Amino acid sequence: MILVIAEQQGGTLNRTSLETIAAAQQTGSEVKVAVPGADVSAVAAVLAAAQVAEVLCVQAPALEAYTLDGYVAALAQVVQDERPDHVFLPHTYLTRDFAPALAVRLGMALVTDCVGVRWQDGALIAARPMFQGRLLADVATSGPALVTFQIGAVRADSLVGGGAPAPMRTVTVAIDAGAIRQKPEAPFREARQAVDLTQAERIVSVGRGIKEQDKVEMARQLAAAIGAELGASRPICDLGWLPMDRQVGSSGQTVAPKLYLALGISGAIQHLVGMKGARTIVAINKDPEAPIFEVADYGIVGDLFDIVPAMLKELQG
Amino acid sequence: MHPAEIWIFRFVFLAFIGAFGVQIATRLRLFLRASNNIRVPDGESGVRIWRVAREVILQSRTIAERPLVGLAHLGVFWGFCAFALFTTVEFLRGLGVADLTATAWFATYALLLVPFALAVLVGITGLIIRRVFVRPPALGTSVSKESVLIGFFIITLMVTFLLDFTLTEGVAARVNWWVHELVILSFIVVIPGSKHFHLLVSPITVYLRSSDLATVPNLDFEREQVGLETLKDVERKQVLDAFTCVECGRCQVNCPAHATGKLLNPKTLILQNEDALLAGRMDATLADIFEATALWQCTTCGACEHHCPVGVEHLPLVIGARRGLVSNGDAPDVLGAVYNHLERRGNIWGLGADQRQKFVQAAGLEIFDSAKHEYLMWLGCAGSFEADFQKSLRSLFEILRARGITFGVLAKERCTGDVAKRTGNEYQFQELARANIEDFRAAGVRKILTSCPHCLRTIGVDYQEFGFAVEVVHSSVLVAAITRDVSVPVTSQVTFHDPCYLGRYSGHTEEPRTLLQRFGASISEPARHGANPFCCGAGGGLLFEEHEEGKRISQERFEQLQATGAATIVTACPFCSIMLKGAQASANSAVEFVDLMTFVEGRLKTVQ
Repeated sequence: MILVIAEQQGGTLNRTSLETIAAAQQTGSEVKVAVPGADVSAVAAVLAAAQVAEVLCVQAPALEAYTLDGYVAALAQVVQDERPDHVFLPHTYLTRDFAPALAVRLGMALVTDCVGVRWQDGALIAARPMFQGRLLADVATSGPALVTFQIGAVRADSLVGGGAPAPMRTVTVAIDAGAIRQKPEAPFREARQAVDLTQAERIVSVGRGIKEQDKVEMARQLAAAIGAELGASRPICDLGWLPMDRQVGSSGQTVAPKLYLALGISGAIQHLVGMKGARTIVAINKDPEAPIFEVADYGIVGDLFDIVPAMLKELQG
Repeated sequence: MHPAEIWIFRFVFLAFIGAFGVQIATRLRLFLRASNNIRVPDGESGVRIWRVAREVILQSRTIAERPLVGLAHLGVFWGFCAFALFTTVEFLRGLGVADLTATAWFATYALLLVPFALAVLVGITGLIIRRVFVRPPALGTSVSKESVLIGFFIITLMVTFLLDFTLTEGVAARVNWWVHELVILSFIVVIPGSKHFHLLVSPITVYLRSSDLATVPNLDFEREQVGLETLKDVERKQVLDAFTCVECGRCQVNCPAHATGKLLNPKTLILQNEDALLAGRMDATLADIFEATALWQCTTCGACEHHCPVGVEHLPLVIGARRGLVSNGDAPDVLGAVYNHLERRGNIWGLGADQRQKFVQAAGLEIFDSAKHEYLMWLGCAGSFEADFQKSLRSLFEILRARGITFGVLAKERCTGDVAKRTGNEYQFQELARANIEDFRAAGVRKILTSCPHCLRTIGVDYQEFGFAVEVVHSSVLVAAITRDVSVPVTSQVTFHDPCYLGRYSGHTEEPRTLLQRFGASISEPARHGANPFCCGAGGGLLFEEHEEGKRISQERFEQLQATGAATIVTACPFCSIMLKGAQASANSAVEFVDLMTFVEGRLKTVQ
């Protein structure tokens, strides 16, 4: 049996847990899922939709906020009670914090950041990258091990759903709250920018081709029409037409949205470096020689003052 | 002289010379305890002696940009030298050792000194007026009392000397003599603790100055060198530089960072070093003494070193201090990303080698084969990845093919390490350099052609320290050499922006201009041009720093070029082009940019 430790914070499931469950399912073993927290019934219901043997709600008031000591105490109890062959976890920040201590507490091996597992002569072999991805190492463990999975290594949509919801069981763990050495504070969000373009799935970006400050409004409308954030190249921010936190570039924000629409942006390398990670790049520019066309997936050589209103009409009409 | 007078003089002399000696001892101790980085490469001593003759004896640098001031100083300096024997003779007389003042030769000598004395008087009076009334910005906001005092000392010395011809006997004569001697002795005591220490130190520092700008030798990791962290680590040449600085402000006035309102001021740097040394703050970190912010504002343009008349080398101090910071993980965040890019992808932007490969194929480039190709064409990071610069390279390739020059590129390139070197990431620079040199040697490279002045300097000069020395040439120089037969009538008016690393560093200011004129351009020059250009602001890692204090250096330079009235700005460096075009975009201007190679190719086509 493989026990998957799922992660939730504030009642929201960390969806990488689903990837880990999929990885466990693919081994062909029986899979159980444990999720720690103060009250995890809602999250457990989501997990129960997967084809697993059981979902354990590992609950205690002390687990309301994440603490290293609380989680280690709770999960150690669960693992000792359930006695799985192996424990799978997603390689999240939280996992990185508590998994080492948990492994030591349980006397189990810990293999981290794995991209896959397979069986060989009845033993589990975990594959993990080394030297910044230049080599892939097969790690064999003797005995039960904790294995953490690299985020994105297993696709969440390969998760097999169960017909009926899996049975849920509450496991109350006894944790000595006084023995918890960490004192959690309110979550810290780096509030340097009001706008976080790095989280945007779509960005409409304006460059010097927009010519005048009041024309930026047109780009704003386009962004609103497709549910995109508004971004800009450096000249626009330098001129004060858009605030600095909208600048995309090598020292502005580096973004990797699904869609990047570059309006009147020439594609100087400082800007390109900030957005080349975008999945699909659409560029509109009057200059056929503009460097942006080297990286664009779709390019329109033309006047954006003709094209963008036409696009808006299509989208809004 | 009366015996009592002689005894008094001996006592006074001993006291003053003793005070002088104590100060010298302190400074000598500071010099000797510093680690010895003084090296004169084999065969260079002759060149350097000739340099001392030009710059010290003939005062070439002080006269160069400030002719009147320089000539005034020349008068004072030569007067000083001429008077040396006179002073010695009078000391010998005063000490009761020998009295040569009554000899015939001395009388002649004294007469010959008169024009020198007058030259000194005119010179020093002019200089005092400049300092007190004209108040040039280079000399700072407040008047240096010490300098005015020395000025009056010098006037007094010359006046008492001239008076001596009329006052031959009596109390007045004796008083005159004593005034003269006391002023000289006072001057001697003031020398070590003032900028006048340059009288003794500057011929040494002028001699010891390296022949190349920004000579910052490799760190020896075997000996665990990490760069300059605290004042203890400052090396002997830098100690001498601190003492030789004359506070003339030529470095300050030519520094692009200072000119755009930043904290960095090269003159302040040197004086902070001096103050800290004399205060004995040996354990203070350089980041504290110089302020780390200032250290990271330097573009390494080299204007400071280039103009210094007394041989101060500012860049080894800045880059040395940067090394100390980087060794402790204290580089600015933007550089951290650049170092990651260099380590993981071998270029400053972290782009994939396949992108370079696409350009190589699209441009029809051949892979370098030493049997077939005369030149290795070194693309560099910009040549591999920057679309605008690649256009200029395509122009260069057309020119080379038209003129029958054979060239090929390496299958894979990695960055020369210029940014790593100038920002103090010495370890990464050496890794990149060694790997590149191995590739060059394996390919049998004998000549390298590049269009990037930074690559030119790094491969051509910095790689020599690894024992790699081949001919490295910039495209403007090669193209100028292979198009001598061409002449096109003037049809356009342009201005040329000299890249710091091509002009000031590598001395190539003529070839780009020759090319422009040959191919039909008339050039309007901004005030800062040629060997003294104003930096575009990209060097020293500042390409990546987009938030500048004060005014953007690139904007300042762009405005200077715009002010020439030319419709076209010609560039010869990918980074100058990036910076100036960025400045143009932010300034909403319509001036045209063209790279030198594209300009030449366009016109070469018309004559073929």
